[in-house]
Order: sequence, then C-alpha cells, then structure tokens
Amino acid sequence: MSAILRWLPFVSSIVSFIFAIFVFRRYAARRGPHLLVWGIGMVFYGLGGFCEWYYGSFGWNPLIFRLWYLFGAILVAAWLGQGTVYLLAGRRWANGLMIVLCLASIYGLVRVFMAQLDPALMTAGGHTGSELSGRAIASAGVRSLTPFFNLYGTATLVGGALWSAWIFWRKRILLHRTIGNVLIAVGALLPAFGGTFSRFGIPGALYISELLGAVLLFAGFLRATTPIQPAEEKGRG
Amino acid sequence: MSDQEKRTPPERRYPPFYEKAVPIILAIIGLFVLVLLVVIVAVALGRFPTLP
Repeated sequence: MSAILRWLPFVSSIVSFIFAIFVFRRYAARRGPHLLVWGIGMVFYGLGGFCEWYYGSFGWNPLIFRLWYLFGAILVAAWLGQGTVYLLAGRRWANGLMIVLCLASIYGLVRVFMAQLDPALMTAGGHTGSELSGRAIASAGVRSLTPFFNLYGTATLVGGALWSAWIFWRKRILLHRTIGNVLIAVGALLPAFGGTFSRFGIPGALYISELLGAVLLFAGFLRATTPIQPAEEKGRG
Repeated sequence: MSDQEKRTPPERRYPPFYEKAVPIILAIIGLFVLVLLVVIVAVALGRFPTLP
C-alpha cells in the first residue's frame, strides 16, 4: 500500500465532511429537505473515505469493512440522489421514495452486518488487496444489492444535475447554476467509473476518482449557490 | 418603439464559450451516464463475473 493510496481517501473524507458542514449550514439557514438529505449523503461519503484510510493505515477490521461497504459502496449515491429528488420532484413523490430508500437502507444495514466476511477474497480476480473491495463478503445476496442502490443514485443525482443544467442553458439564465450542475454531474459520475475500473483490477482508480468526485461535487455546489458577478461573467466571455 | 418591439423580450445570451460548450459537455456526460447505467444493469444481471 503506497502512501498516496493511504492518504487519498483521508483527503476525500475531510473534503466530504467540510462539504457536509457547508450543506448543513445552508439547511439551517434556508431549510429544504434536499439540503438535509444531501448533507447526510456527504457524511456517508466522508465515512466511506475514512474507512478506506483506516484500512490503508491499520489493516483489516471487520467493523470498518462493514461500515465502508454500507455507507461507501451501498448508500452514498442513493442518498445524494434522493436529495436531488427532493429538489426536482413533487413533495409527495419525494416522500414516498424517501420511505422506500429508508426501508431499503435498513435492509442493507442488516444484510451487511450479518454477512460472513473473508478478507482473503479481496486479493482474488486481479485485485491486489491494496484497496477495500466487496469481494470480502462471502455471503450470497449482499453484493447484489449494490447495483440497485447505485442505479437509483446515478440516475437521480447525475440525471437531475444534467436536467437542471439543460433547463438553465435553454433559458439562458443563472449561468452559475448551469456550471455548478455540470460540475456536480461530472463529480457524481467519477466515483462510479472509478468503481468500474477498480473492478477490472486497476489500482488506485477508486480512491483517485472518489477524491476528484468529492472535490468536483463541492466545487459544483459552491458554484451553483454563488451567483456570478457581472464583471466576472464579462471576463469569462 | 412599436408595440411588437415592446412585447418581445430581449434575447438572453450566455458568454460565447458557454453557448457552445454547455450542450457539448452535457451530451458527453449523458453518453457516459448511458454507458455506466448499462454496466450497472449488466452487473445486476450477473453479466460481469464480479460485483463491486
């Protein structure tokens, strides 16, 4: 395990927690359930990064692995996407999907914490074991939960950001929100692609993409919530 | 100024770079999303030998 691979997740974790504080502060000032759910999602992101750093620094720990798999692999994308659902969909739809997500999350929690683990399996199939991998779960039916959460999370988070950016661009209004949503869409996609590359045994892909994803999500949020000054816009044009 | 001109709102424009870049970037991201969704569905259906 190189020092870079050990500290990348730590930096991701710090960025995510700072981002979560920004989102919670905005929620305290403006309310809006989308901010609360996004904040929770970024806490999950930070927990995932912390667990990856812990594994790189201190080695295998079953509790750390279960926390990583639950928050970092299963829940984070879906909860961030649920925040976007609250922003863009009607409240009744959003509340209904929130109930489904909460029940599914509890089910995932139970399955992950009851699963049999075997860390030796992480080095199978091209993996070096330098990064955490769901391969360590020996029980059947646990890892198959992940794609469903990630499908929902990717479709809602990235799809919502793309949709918002398109609407703003088409109306030629709020340039800062157009740019912010593009950054959010790219930031949300990166960890998903990192996970795919990691699946094919490319070392470091997951941790690098997670850090870039956290930075771009944060940058997108700041850009989307900070109007562009006329002088700044003129300079860009 | 005629009534027609009064009713027509001024055309809004983004800075030239964003006018061209935004739709191209959105299309590229959309393409990547499609690829990713296909991969996720394939994983869910067990088409890949391993899961994340």
